[in-house]
Amino acid sequence: MKQPLPEAAVFCEGVGVRFTTERGTVTALENIDLTIPRGSFLTLLGPSGCGKSTLLRVMADLIAPTGGRITVLGGTPAAARLKREIGFVFQDPALLPWRTVLDNVTLPLEVGGGKALPGARAPKELLELVGLAGWENAFPHELSGGMRQRVAIARALVSGPRLLLMDEPFGALDEITRDRLNEELLQLWETTGTTIVFVTHSIYEAAFLGQQVLLLAARPGRVRELVPVTLPMPRHLSQRETPEFTTLAGHLRRVLETC
Amino acid sequence: MAAQVPGAFVADTEAAARYRARRRYLAGRRILLPVVAVLVLLFAWSESIKLFDIKPFIAPSPQAVAAVLYERFGILMTNLLPTAIESVLGFALGNLAAIVVATVFVWRKTVEEAMFPVAVMINSIPVVAKAPILVLLLGNGMEPKIAVAAIICFFPTLVNMTRGLRDVRPEQIELMHVLSASPGEVFLRIRVPNALPYLFSALKIAASTAVIGAIVGEWIGSTQGIGALILQATFNFDSPLLYATIVVGSIFSAAFFGVISLVERRMLRWHTAHKE
Repeated sequence: MKQPLPEAAVFCEGVGVRFTTERGTVTALENIDLTIPRGSFLTLLGPSGCGKSTLLRVMADLIAPTGGRITVLGGTPAAARLKREIGFVFQDPALLPWRTVLDNVTLPLEVGGGKALPGARAPKELLELVGLAGWENAFPHELSGGMRQRVAIARALVSGPRLLLMDEPFGALDEITRDRLNEELLQLWETTGTTIVFVTHSIYEAAFLGQQVLLLAARPGRVRELVPVTLPMPRHLSQRETPEFTTLAGHLRRVLETC
Repeated sequence: MAAQVPGAFVADTEAAARYRARRRYLAGRRILLPVVAVLVLLFAWSESIKLFDIKPFIAPSPQAVAAVLYERFGILMTNLLPTAIESVLGFALGNLAAIVVATVFVWRKTVEEAMFPVAVMINSIPVVAKAPILVLLLGNGMEPKIAVAAIICFFPTLVNMTRGLRDVRPEQIELMHVLSASPGEVFLRIRVPNALPYLFSALKIAASTAVIGAIVGEWIGSTQGIGALILQATFNFDSPLLYATIVVGSIFSAAFFGVISLVERRMLRWHTAHKE
């Protein structure tokens, strides 16, 4: 049995998830081996039904694996969650409509013991970081889709998590907003030093954001290929027009077509 | 909010004035149109009494009703007071009980499965049939009337509140799980605020039905109250008093509804704001 590396943010060994429904048992994930180093940015890419969201949810302790072993920041996912080391951003911003922007961001500090980890930024500072300074007292319904997702990101960062899990956070946004948020997310990652695992079904997003792209195949969900991204940091949108990026995107597309 | 948000809003006094004028016009229209409609109906009523020569003991003219409202104001108010107390207390008790039971239902599904059919059965008994039972049980004072008002409020609030506490978006529950929130925190911070719009829809229905409950309770056995006055006026063929009593009861009921709506607007600004 392999030992998890001390510097690993996430370590999976033979992780599997099976759901039992009326129509029978579905294997959502099968035999996932994966090591995500601390401070890295990994994107999960795959066709729908490949279990990329399921894998993210296993890391967040939202789904219990039915097989294998997973370590998150040196302990179980539940322990990491209880220690406030995990931040999660859903595809739907899941803001509480009865709370103002600032009160939504401070929600994690009010529940579950409410403590923030050392080095956590102040809520107002985070709002500034995601470009929402001045919107503290607005209600969610007054914001655009992109702004709501920025609030959700600020909320996920307020406890100072060591691992930020993002489940297609920009999937419902228009392309221009998505591009801008992609660039901002990379800056945020560089300023905070948080490990980020980012699920997407967009080839360009996966290649632009990740240091590595984990390609998953469907039925059953399994690792297809771990593709390193050699584009230099800091990245800018213009890099998507370079030959290296085009080659990488082409490779990801060809592998995806066989998944 | 234009002042505290930089960038997104700019000051444009002319456009702002146009916007406010439009809002004023719409608000004025909302008041003026029903007033005109009521005046037209009153005029039609008054004219048809004259036109068809309807006798006062069959139906009074609006003028006669107005005269009673003015001359016998004291009697009307003396009778409104017990009805008002009964309906407000019944409203408070019935809704409070419904909120508590809904909380228990959401906390333990088993209790709901066992008790909800019972609640449905009790609710299916007509009010006029429940009232005598309660008079026998609780005597001839205010208690049975409060009980009728409470029971009539109970069911709609129970159904709405249970739904509101339960119809929570799954992402919000998942979010609270990731934040390691306790069941109590999920209840107070997610379920209760989520249920408030549902609760207020039920409270607005209850505000009117509580008054109906109190009046029906008074019909079974009472010498005082709007219900008692309605019966008395009917037996005396005093149609102007009957109509005046009904007007007083309706105004009270509408005022009660108005107060609840006002509280709703204040408490649910996040919810009502984007529906306007």
